[in-house]
Amino acid sequence: MKRYDLIVVGAGPAGMSAAIEAAKHGVHVVVFDENARPGGQLFKQIHKFFGSKEHRAKIRGFVIGQELLDEADKLGVDVRLNSTVIGLYQDKEVVVQRNGEVEHYKGDSIVVATGAAENMVTFEGWTLPGVIGAGAAQTMMNLHGVRPGERVLMLGTGNVGLVVSYQLKQAGCDVVALGDAAPRVGGYGVHAAKVARTGVPFYLGHTIKRAEGTDHVTGAVIAQLDEHFQFIPGTEKHFDVDTICVAVGLSPMSQLFKMDGCKVVDDRKKGGQVPVVDDLGQTSIPGIFAAGDVSGIEEASSAMIEGRIAGLSAASFLGYIDKPELDEGVGSNEAALDGLRQGMFAPKNRGKKIENTEEGIPVSTSLLEHGFVADDEIERFPGVTHRQGIHPVIECTQNIPCNPCQDVCPKHCIKVGDHITALPQLEPDAQCIGCGLCVASCPGQAIFLLDETDVPGYADVSLPYEFLPLPTKGQRGVALGRDGKPVCEAEVVSVKRTKAFDHTAVVTMRVPADMAMRARFFKATDDVQAPAAPAAKA
Amino acid sequence: MSSTTADVIVVGGGIIGCATAYYLAKKGTDVIVLEANESIGDGGSTRNAGGVRQSGRDPRELPLAMYAVKNMWPHLSEELDSDVEYCQGGNLRLGKTEKHLEILRGLRDKAVAQGLDMRMISGDEVREINPYLSEEVIGASWCPTDGHANPLRATMAFYRAARRLGVRFYTGHPVTELRKVKGAVRQVVTPTQTYEADRVVVAAGYASRKILASVDIDVPMSNVLIEALVTEMEPPMFPQMLGTAEADFYGHQTKHGSFVFGGDSGFERVNKDEGHRMRTSSITAPSICRGILRYIPRLAHAKIVRTWAGYEDVCADGVPVLGKVDEVPGLVVACAFTGHGFGISPIVGTLLSEVARDEPTTLDISAFRYDRFKARA
Amino acid sequence: MKEIYDRTRDLGPFEPKPGDDQIVCRCEEVTQGEIRQAVHDGLFTIAEIRRYLRCGMGLCQGQTCARLVKGIVARELGVSPDELEPASSRAPMRPIEMSVFAKEGEDDE
Repeated sequence: MKRYDLIVVGAGPAGMSAAIEAAKHGVHVVVFDENARPGGQLFKQIHKFFGSKEHRAKIRGFVIGQELLDEADKLGVDVRLNSTVIGLYQDKEVVVQRNGEVEHYKGDSIVVATGAAENMVTFEGWTLPGVIGAGAAQTMMNLHGVRPGERVLMLGTGNVGLVVSYQLKQAGCDVVALGDAAPRVGGYGVHAAKVARTGVPFYLGHTIKRAEGTDHVTGAVIAQLDEHFQFIPGTEKHFDVDTICVAVGLSPMSQLFKMDGCKVVDDRKKGGQVPVVDDLGQTSIPGIFAAGDVSGIEEASSAMIEGRIAGLSAASFLGYIDKPELDEGVGSNEAALDGLRQGMFAPKNRGKKIENTEEGIPVSTSLLEHGFVADDEIERFPGVTHRQGIHPVIECTQNIPCNPCQDVCPKHCIKVGDHITALPQLEPDAQCIGCGLCVASCPGQAIFLLDETDVPGYADVSLPYEFLPLPTKGQRGVALGRDGKPVCEAEVVSVKRTKAFDHTAVVTMRVPADMAMRARFFKATDDVQAPAAPAAKA
Repeated sequence: MSSTTADVIVVGGGIIGCATAYYLAKKGTDVIVLEANESIGDGGSTRNAGGVRQSGRDPRELPLAMYAVKNMWPHLSEELDSDVEYCQGGNLRLGKTEKHLEILRGLRDKAVAQGLDMRMISGDEVREINPYLSEEVIGASWCPTDGHANPLRATMAFYRAARRLGVRFYTGHPVTELRKVKGAVRQVVTPTQTYEADRVVVAAGYASRKILASVDIDVPMSNVLIEALVTEMEPPMFPQMLGTAEADFYGHQTKHGSFVFGGDSGFERVNKDEGHRMRTSSITAPSICRGILRYIPRLAHAKIVRTWAGYEDVCADGVPVLGKVDEVPGLVVACAFTGHGFGISPIVGTLLSEVARDEPTTLDISAFRYDRFKARA
Repeated sequence: MKEIYDRTRDLGPFEPKPGDDQIVCRCEEVTQGEIRQAVHDGLFTIAEIRRYLRCGMGLCQGQTCARLVKGIVARELGVSPDELEPASSRAPMRPIEMSVFAKEGEDDE
């Protein structure tokens, strides 16, 4: 039987990171993946990642994926695609289905990084074609270039539901609403806000009653839930949709561990059944490691770090590195992982209702209940200030581990500080030059530039824009508020695109001065009735 | 009646224990069943290929199988109010060489001697019965009254029906020892509780051995791993139970459409787990598949969705141990079924219920005495 | 003693509930009502329910429905889902054709 130092199952962010880290230390490694392309979910992630430099923040997922593949290539990691690991057997024997036959391999060590699968909910009509997982929708759009439908109802306001809703809009779908049985938005507020401001209504405390249609989805009915999760009669809302996307969480695909007899526990905070692992990612069977979502649902960023730790652990297990080297490598990775596991959305806070930010500011209830920060709430956050001349308005209202805004500003106007989850604020003496880097770089699209001094009576609002077609200079339309409702007329005065913006355009629109703190999105007027501009400002 | 006492305690919640409990309760006996594992039917009951077969049985066992096929299986679904998916599609035991046919003729001769309709047929006759079988098959033994059922359903059906009749089942209750009181078995001890009854039926598969040791009784048996696999649903193809003279696989198509096949790779007896865990090996299922495809090439593209392993309590002389134990009054033993307990489970349950109630038995079971391995007194 | 070990527990008469006709296990087309009824019939563990109804035993091996079935069984029994041992996992991880499984390949790289 062919022997490898290390067999990695799964070429996603965790598996590739493990393979790379191990190969760097001389380990002879092979990676098996059942898909035709490596990268796992990374190539579906077209949004910019959160975190700090070490987590490759503000870089889009698929770019990170390509970087991983290039690095693996350079190190000579053998990645075998269309290769399904069908079983993990006694004595670290891995059986792979490949090219119409089964192959048997022996791994001196094994890293299982098989990721997760989407959860489902049942409701009347849930088996109709047109009811799909949000992850499936993302695969169709971002890997295969296929729009999953025309009109979509999204169920679930976790990060997957929010991010995919945004991407559906980018793909030209009409997302008619987001619903969630929970009373509060589950994902990052900034992800919710960037969807809400485009005009998608949020229905929290609502869930789907039925999907309509005979051979495919033609409509959906949602209704409000009471505190016992029972439908409240008379609250039904009907939507004409052809697609219902379900984003109700992920479950680790931990079958290989169970099959092989590794100790497994059911841990709801980790999303389901996960192997019991030590600090180094080692399971109850020495030499078998777990990394990424399969050991607990998190983000791709943490999966990559877990992968690196598992790769180092395997290298140490195999005798390629000594203890000090292991400790050093694991230590820095653990610090990075620790950085990601901070803030309101840290795994330890899952399910908790958080009332105040770390700074002691009451969190926005409107954000949690409707997906956007209300106009009367926004002023209390430290990134929102009023100044003469152009300056950023940072509508970052939750403590999440993320700081690209601090790093990108050439004038050091924005400060997050050493504590990566702190809400960003403006340095009092720094001078903004209006370059727009912060606007384009913020993974949450929560930074705007305001300039109330250029033309009297008017304000220029610069915002991140990632939809096609891009607005053009001179184009007229309406400004939408944070809630996605039209607030005033607007005229595009500039559209900036540079390489540094990485495909995020910075659109500057001119609105009446009193709308400067309300107007947050631009919509061309062909399909929206703009409210009459205030006479005094006309 | 106290929650820890009953007329009869059955140790083992497999199909034999559940069937015994059912037939006892049907006659009004108060029964407690203690199952060591969390679930009912964790042992051989749900890990066999579902044969309801008379052909190929040891002459001592054949009368039980014939009785069950004639009098019990045809009505079992109705009796238990649950579909056990019994299908009397016949049994083909296939041969590919003259040597195979020799083995099959030997089996036929023994069966015919006891009045079973079993005959030898040619390769062409085989393919008339089952057109999916390959040209490699040159002959077979054919027993038209054999068949198959769903062992998972049947086990659960006996459990469910027994429970409806008031049988008290406790799972997660491993019996650590039996204790005699004044010379007769009386107490059944688990880590958390001691149960009491005048009659104790031990039907715990291989685990019976350790339990019986507590009252100084032994049944010479070994624990042998077997494996099985199941395919996805396929359109209905054939209703027969299949086996081979070479014994490289056996199985059938279920009512649901999937195919269930069992077999081994030859190394199961020396597997490393030594009975601690039921896990499949990396070579057995491929070896079963290779066997099957030589006989049924049409299944090449049928997808296997699951493989599993289980233990057979294999008796030194290949037939079970059934009945009372002279030295331990009150004790009834039922184990060492050697991998063919499922087909005879309804009659065995009936017989054990009769033994436990001191009634005359429907069939003579003296050939299955526990002391057949001992020096004659 | 774990609550589910005691099979003498009477869950009361089976009352139909909304959604009983909804399919929970798509591969084997098992409905919520069938699962609830089975629990009332004394099948208190995921393994027993699978053996009796086949849910989670089809092409996806319970990847989609395992969590749902667990929830239904736990609710019916009035216990936390954590009390229910998840079903076992068996090779193959993905359905595999018999001819492929039968063919042992060589490592050619």
